[in-house]
Amino acid sequence: MNNSIKRMIDGMVATLRHEVIPHIGTEFARGQAFGVIYMLNSLALRANWSPEFVGEQIAAQLALRDALAPLLVDTDAPALPQAADAGSGVKTLEATRDANDERICALITWYGAATLDAARAAAIETQLRACMDRQLKWELQTSAKPMFAEMSAGSE
Amino acid sequence: MLAVDIQAPDLLSDEARIRERLASYLQAQTKRPWTLGKFTRYAVGFSWITYGFDAREDGGAEQGLILRLGPPYGLFAPYSALPQHASLKLLEGSTVPAPRSYWWSDDASILGAPFFISERVAGSAPVPWMSATATGFEESYRKNIGAQFVSAIAGLHTAEWRGQEGFVDNGITVDNAAIRQIEEWEANRQRWALKPYPMLTWAFRWLRRNLPVAPRVSLVHGDYRLGNFLEQNGRITAILDWELVHLGDPHEDLGWAFLPQYSGGSGLVCRLLSKEDFIAQYEREAGFKVQPASLHFYLVFSLVKLALTHIAAVRCFEEGRFNDMRMPAMGTQIAPVLRQISKLLPVEGA
Repeated sequence: MNNSIKRMIDGMVATLRHEVIPHIGTEFARGQAFGVIYMLNSLALRANWSPEFVGEQIAAQLALRDALAPLLVDTDAPALPQAADAGSGVKTLEATRDANDERICALITWYGAATLDAARAAAIETQLRACMDRQLKWELQTSAKPMFAEMSAGSE
Repeated sequence: MLAVDIQAPDLLSDEARIRERLASYLQAQTKRPWTLGKFTRYAVGFSWITYGFDAREDGGAEQGLILRLGPPYGLFAPYSALPQHASLKLLEGSTVPAPRSYWWSDDASILGAPFFISERVAGSAPVPWMSATATGFEESYRKNIGAQFVSAIAGLHTAEWRGQEGFVDNGITVDNAAIRQIEEWEANRQRWALKPYPMLTWAFRWLRRNLPVAPRVSLVHGDYRLGNFLEQNGRITAILDWELVHLGDPHEDLGWAFLPQYSGGSGLVCRLLSKEDFIAQYEREAGFKVQPASLHFYLVFSLVKLALTHIAAVRCFEEGRFNDMRMPAMGTQIAPVLRQISKLLPVEGA
């Protein structure tokens, strides 16, 4: 997910209140919708994105760190990804993941400008691509089936 | 981060206010009073606000008009209405079906945002998204519409914009058309991304190393696809959504139209034509050969633009500019698009 969970829930509540409930035709159904708002607001007080989801993204970054470290010896490459402190909460894990992605972006920029022998360049590129693909595949595996056709048509 | 009060009233959504101000504007433009009917806000797009309404100039016949407003909180803000108005004026009377644009202004004191007013064209917009139970277009329909779809883009790309009112080339040439777009969208990434995306960095690196030379500098629609034209009785009546129109390499529109996102799983370009049929007809009508390397470049670039558009939607939603749930839904598509980019870019060192 790219939006914060708090903003997602606020948006869902606002959408139900302003776009959905005024068009619901029965008292019972409107009551059910307000029940959904109540439960969403309750979730907002306690929910966070899953630490398992963020943890796997960081694991991919640390695998890249371990694979690149020997390949970057005697180069002026920027800093490699780093681990989060043990016992970190999910907010800290998200910050660590984003900081590591920033470092990977810096590595890509450096790699594009560095003078490297072909074998080393190929090995670095392979590791960078493997990390990015691992992160993307994980995000796809943990995403719901899209419903754009239903959102466009307003029906299933 | 921009702080936006999501509970604050949006003056551009105040239809009575807009109608009153627009009637005054039209009277000032034409020196005759206008009567404007009920406004209908169309739930299309994430950027420009679109209203349809009936209007009657004193002593004249009733006509259907479209008002498009570029809000300061829109995806690609700040906006100017001039490129759209100038493009639509250029295409008047051409083979490219497009609405006539009558008035425009970037003066936000008039309606609260840049705007233009065009004719309302009849028709409905087929969309790229298909539910699990939907079937594709009937073959003769898709081939007929497909041929018109190709003719329209070939017509746009051969339209002579030089010397026309509202067009300034700003030094764009066949050699720098690609890098101009890359720089513009890299700047958009700086504006929009709430967090880093390594695959985007990788893709920009690849694009900068593979810049093509354009066959010509054309008017480029910028969002040419299924969903952005109206059709009625087997005829495309209007190409819509010109907000990204600009000068550039005509391959750019082909790359966008060829995105798998618009094929509805059919394997066809915009659910209409095979790539081979599209290219063969396009080459005949546009008068130049489509370069596979350029097409590949602009396919990758189109995916980058699509990912960035999704990233912009995430930012707009996160900042509270919209509560439209389509926006966080677009955010879920960043990873699939980046994965598609990865598949298109071979590991060069492997």
